[in-house]
Amino acid sequence: MGDCGCDKAKKDLEEYLHNELCSEEAADIRAHMENCVDCSDEHRVGVVLTEAVKRACEETAPEALKLEVLEKLRSMQQHSL
Amino acid sequence: MAGSVTLEGAGVGLEQMTTAPSAKSALFEEQAMEHIDKLYAHAMRKTGNRVDANDLVQETYLKAFAAFDQFQQGTNIKAWLHRILENTYINQYRKLQNQPYYSPLEDLEDWQLGDAESRTATSSRSAEAEAIDHLPASAVKDALQAIPEDFRAAVYLVDVEGYSYQEVADIMETPTGTVMSRLHRGRKLLREQLADYAREQGIGKGK
Repeated sequence: MGDCGCDKAKKDLEEYLHNELCSEEAADIRAHMENCVDCSDEHRVGVVLTEAVKRACEETAPEALKLEVLEKLRSMQQHSL
Repeated sequence: MAGSVTLEGAGVGLEQMTTAPSAKSALFEEQAMEHIDKLYAHAMRKTGNRVDANDLVQETYLKAFAAFDQFQQGTNIKAWLHRILENTYINQYRKLQNQPYYSPLEDLEDWQLGDAESRTATSSRSAEAEAIDHLPASAVKDALQAIPEDFRAAVYLVDVEGYSYQEVADIMETPTGTVMSRLHRGRKLLREQLADYAREQGIGKGK
């Protein structure tokens, strides 16, 4: 499949996913994916993986932690006065 | 609204605290505290548990406040905080874990890590996407926690926080090429682990 642009596309897919390509390169990838199920499926896996990681990493800092940080900051500045 | 103007950004709602903030700490609180959820998420990925994550976030904020004079106003304070967190973790927690830092996977060539893509080439990629999409968050968390720490940090900072490769290079104090390699390997390992998990659980096989 080296002659249909897949090799180059596959190499660049991750950077494409992360918006690291210039607009011209990104347009090339998009054009390639329109005609290549293999590469567009590969891209789809990348997108879904990113989404899954985002969902898994959602956290809210405990209120107690926020208060503790603030309290320590305030006492820190008091000592430095 | 009247009367609230002077308190703007000075930690309104914290009047019950014993000490009133100075101008410096008011500015710091205003700019830095809103990012605490993200810092906590970052710390959870680093440490893997709430107790250590709490400590790491606290130390990060205290260090940041102590160094706040060196922060260049107008630059990205959130990225600056993530960077201090990375540093703090490396300096203290790694030392405490009593393990000299060495990431054996970093030395491996890509082909030695196995190729996630070729492994799934025979089965359908759309089935793989489907499976990943249906995995419970806990499985993804476990998989993240199982990959090398530096890979995980790169994945977290790029995929979750949305930083550019260059920004992550600044936060992790490594060349951009290293970030790209960690990210690539991290995602590859993650994908393999999730594929294994899905296979074991029979997720995404269709009915």
